[in-house]
Amino acid sequence: MTDVAKRLDLSGVTCPMNFVKTKIALDSLDQGDVLEVVLDEGDPISNVPRSLKEEGHRVLKVIPHGETFIVHVEKGRV
Amino acid sequence: MSEAKPFQLDPNESRKVGYIPQKQIDYYALRLHVIAGDLSANQLKAVAEVAEKYGRGEVHISTRQGMEIHFVHASNLDTARLELDAAGIKMGACGPRVRIVMGCPGSATCKFGIIETKAIAKELDRRYFRTDTPYKFKMSVTGCSHNCAKATENDLGVMGGLLPAWDKNICIDCNLCVNICPTKAISKQEVNGKSEYVLEESACINCSVCTLSCPVNSWTASKSGYTLLIGGTLGKIPRLASVLKKYIPTEEELFNLVERSIDFYRKNGRKKERFGHTLDRLGLETVKKEILGE
Repeated sequence: MTDVAKRLDLSGVTCPMNFVKTKIALDSLDQGDVLEVVLDEGDPISNVPRSLKEEGHRVLKVIPHGETFIVHVEKGRV
Repeated sequence: MSEAKPFQLDPNESRKVGYIPQKQIDYYALRLHVIAGDLSANQLKAVAEVAEKYGRGEVHISTRQGMEIHFVHASNLDTARLELDAAGIKMGACGPRVRIVMGCPGSATCKFGIIETKAIAKELDRRYFRTDTPYKFKMSVTGCSHNCAKATENDLGVMGGLLPAWDKNICIDCNLCVNICPTKAISKQEVNGKSEYVLEESACINCSVCTLSCPVNSWTASKSGYTLLIGGTLGKIPRLASVLKKYIPTEEELFNLVERSIDFYRKNGRKKERFGHTLDRLGLETVKKEILGE
């Protein structure tokens, strides 16, 4: 299992605030650390991982969980 | 004593140049020529000025990215047209002919865009705008299968499309693609204890969601190009467009097939019959073969 440095439940948080909160959470981590975020189905899971890629981070795992997804993100180079 | 000259306009001729008679006698809507919904700020100023001077200070945006100035009196039509012309705005088209070409912003600014829509829209306009067809003929260019410019609702539509292919050597097995594919065309299978991601091609809508989102670019386009759609229409008898050909690699081939499609419609379409209904009357597969030269 991946070591998770921080967890963030963003269920019920819509775009783009879920991405903003994910970014702020990643800011407090070191490169290579893993953040676990919970994202809603629909726009959040469609948009946030793509935006994270654009910012240089890497999604490692996406696990469906009811109407949400547990997403592991590795912090990229700052 | 001078008599006021009664205004005479041939209704067919006036439609050709974008003067549409309103139900209010002697009043017209001026339909303007816009390509893919683009006007410059200066052109918009000219439109605003003409609308204030010769209309009622109102501008109507049409459902197909066109622009109209309503309530222009017949005696002012030519003056208004010339003022617009000076600002580089030509008149639109009505009646049985090729109408203004629609377009989304395309790959120039949109991350999902697979093709440069504006260049294609301009070229379609340059080749065909206002030329005669059996009935109205509408075209639209849209960058990808999100279909923002509704290519499937036009007599002829061009859509960007790609076929994704999976590279197992760089895949990190994150499972994102399976969960974001809009049509669930991607599935994960276990083969000898290893994950394999499989695309069901018949379910794939050729969008760029997986290729754009895959964190390691394990999904990339193995084929990419223009999808040519024919026979779409809304209106009185709606019919969504049919695919003539996918992954057309070059503009040259695209415009060749566009020419063959329009030529077929001109030769075979009946009066007041939209292209899609011609296709249905003659048999879609038969017509497709003929246009494709198979």
